[in-house]
Amino acid sequence: MNGARWLVQALRAEGVDTLFGYPGGAIMPFYDALHGSSLKHVLVRHEQGAAFAANGYARASGRVGVCVATSGPGASNLITGIADAMLDSVPMVCITGQVGTPLMGTDAFQELDVFGMTMAIVKHNFLPRSVDDLPRVVAEAFRLARSGRPGPVLIDLPKDVQVADASHLPAHVPAEVDPVPQPSEPALHAALAQLALAQKPLIYGGGGIALGDAVDAFREFVEASQIPAVLTLKGLGALQDDHPLNLGMLGMHGSRAANLAVQACDLLFAVGARFDDRATGKLAEFAPHARVVHLDIDACELGKLRFADAPVAGDIATGMRRMQAAAAAHLHGRHGPARLAWRDACTAVKAKTAPRYDAPGDGVYAPSLLRRLSALAPDAVVACDVGQHQMWVAQHWAFDHPRRHLTSGALGAMGFGLPAAIGAQMQDPSAQVICVSGDGSFLMNVQELATLSRYRLPVKIVLLDNQALGMVRQWQELFFERRYSEIDLSDNPDFCALAQAFGIEALHVDRAADVDTALETLLAAPGPALLHVAIDQNANVWPLVPPNRNNAEMMDEGGDADEATRLVAADDPDIAALQAAAAQPVARRAHVPQAVSAQAAPASASTQTYTGDAAPVPAFAPSPRIPS
Amino acid sequence: MRYRLDLTLRHSEGALTRVLGTTERRGFRPLSVEGDTQSDGDRWHLQMTVEGDRPGESLLQQLNKLYDCLDVQVQPCS
Repeated sequence: MNGARWLVQALRAEGVDTLFGYPGGAIMPFYDALHGSSLKHVLVRHEQGAAFAANGYARASGRVGVCVATSGPGASNLITGIADAMLDSVPMVCITGQVGTPLMGTDAFQELDVFGMTMAIVKHNFLPRSVDDLPRVVAEAFRLARSGRPGPVLIDLPKDVQVADASHLPAHVPAEVDPVPQPSEPALHAALAQLALAQKPLIYGGGGIALGDAVDAFREFVEASQIPAVLTLKGLGALQDDHPLNLGMLGMHGSRAANLAVQACDLLFAVGARFDDRATGKLAEFAPHARVVHLDIDACELGKLRFADAPVAGDIATGMRRMQAAAAAHLHGRHGPARLAWRDACTAVKAKTAPRYDAPGDGVYAPSLLRRLSALAPDAVVACDVGQHQMWVAQHWAFDHPRRHLTSGALGAMGFGLPAAIGAQMQDPSAQVICVSGDGSFLMNVQELATLSRYRLPVKIVLLDNQALGMVRQWQELFFERRYSEIDLSDNPDFCALAQAFGIEALHVDRAADVDTALETLLAAPGPALLHVAIDQNANVWPLVPPNRNNAEMMDEGGDADEATRLVAADDPDIAALQAAAAQPVARRAHVPQAVSAQAAPASASTQTYTGDAAPVPAFAPSPRIPS
Repeated sequence: MRYRLDLTLRHSEGALTRVLGTTERRGFRPLSVEGDTQSDGDRWHLQMTVEGDRPGESLLQQLNKLYDCLDVQVQPCS
């Protein structure tokens, strides 16, 4: 029994059944230990594919995704996928080989300071220099990845530790996940007090809902309180797509109803959301009339970008359940009629601003195709790449659960889609997994077609090809005077021939009339298959909140960024009313803790000492160096 | 605004780098750093003075999340 064999047994004890990786020099003892073990190893064709596949596995399942690479280039190739997991709070354990400890620090072959390089993109990392460290390190790595706000943990494993005698080590015992921090009674009380004052409350739900296993509690709260909800990119599916109170996604490419409601509401109840700039638009003008209640498991998010009148740190599901009855009772309170009128105003605007799918012309209209595919495969897990197609998926796919939507939200990493789909398929071979990609993103990890083919995973790829880097092209058209710089992809390969070269069935569609047949053929394919869809290069994503504008200033097709942008015909009384409410002068103080004054900081939810505005204490003698 | 930080860290590889990296990345400039492991060999005791425009509370929370950070206190100082 050496360290590597002990580690393989420990991974089994942690419940790992599948690894994604690529072998190499410094990780060879581990691969030797894998040989003949019961762990399933998926050989990718680039380490970035391993990290994204483990990432997709974790997102779809909620379990820890595990990826493996060798030292040096193997480890550095993982980095984008690890960073993506960090920014989107995905539980992963990443194992990298390292040169032997005697060689570390000597610029040895394939030596990189992976421990140092990844420090900023992991929840924590470990560099066990002795085989005796392994039990603690492995237990802590999995505990940390799973606990609280999840995230990636890296173990950089020197080769001599892998081959060291481990026969004296005990069998691995997984560590208990940290108890979930519970919201305090005073914080919940304060939140309910704010809710009770609201006549126009709105829920702003994010990715934390799924991460906290709070989907059911969230839905029950919405139902009981009858408060309309907007969702972030990662929150999509937390409320059923067709739920009357689901106003859709907010933000840069958010729905008209969601963005107008946010700008008009008088109370914003942020649930597992973090006021990301793509969601808020111009932060200083975001939800300008609203007081904020903010519920999140991570106290760091409370007041980080927007002052919270009632910050609540702790478990989202518990918070929602504990507030549900009181929030429902508000409907019978003095603001009950106003609440219901607000709800009805929001849902009326939603109905009147719903997307239309009757695009003119014979060509394929991507939103229409995606909506149709969503109806044909309602239970599918969808892995997106990044760009226009990603936003069309967010806008037009009818997600019924957040774990069915795998998207690189915070990092926005092109190349995510195909390997993430592979990971999602590995975690549930019976799932219908669809990868929606663009011609730019697809070529970033196209080598994973070999992985798809090798394991005969029945992933269906929908490749929306506009022969351009579409989102960049759209911005150059709108904000850079149509100076199209390096976005032309008109010399794309023949994607069908490419897929077929990997042994993957492929078909092509370029006419709207043929879309239904093409989609049905795609879904009926028994194994992996690719549908290449030629779309109009000039098709853009609408609506669009231009940079540094507030979310009510949405551009629509034919709009002008300079005139920004009252998109919807204001002759409709319901829409005009919501627009007018959003545009009212702001009577209250500035809400953004002007990035940020100490006075604006919310009360600490931590048990640590924070003296706030207490009398200053004298600074101690400065020391220019860190002591050795 | 200036803040004084008092930290207790695990004496583990990377602990100091993590604290300094987090401090700078979250918008604070270290002005002084002093520390030792003399009183007990398995802990770093670190005192820092930093300045930044963001609330000290935000730095407190970020440092508090670090696995190697066992205790942190942040106080405004002149």
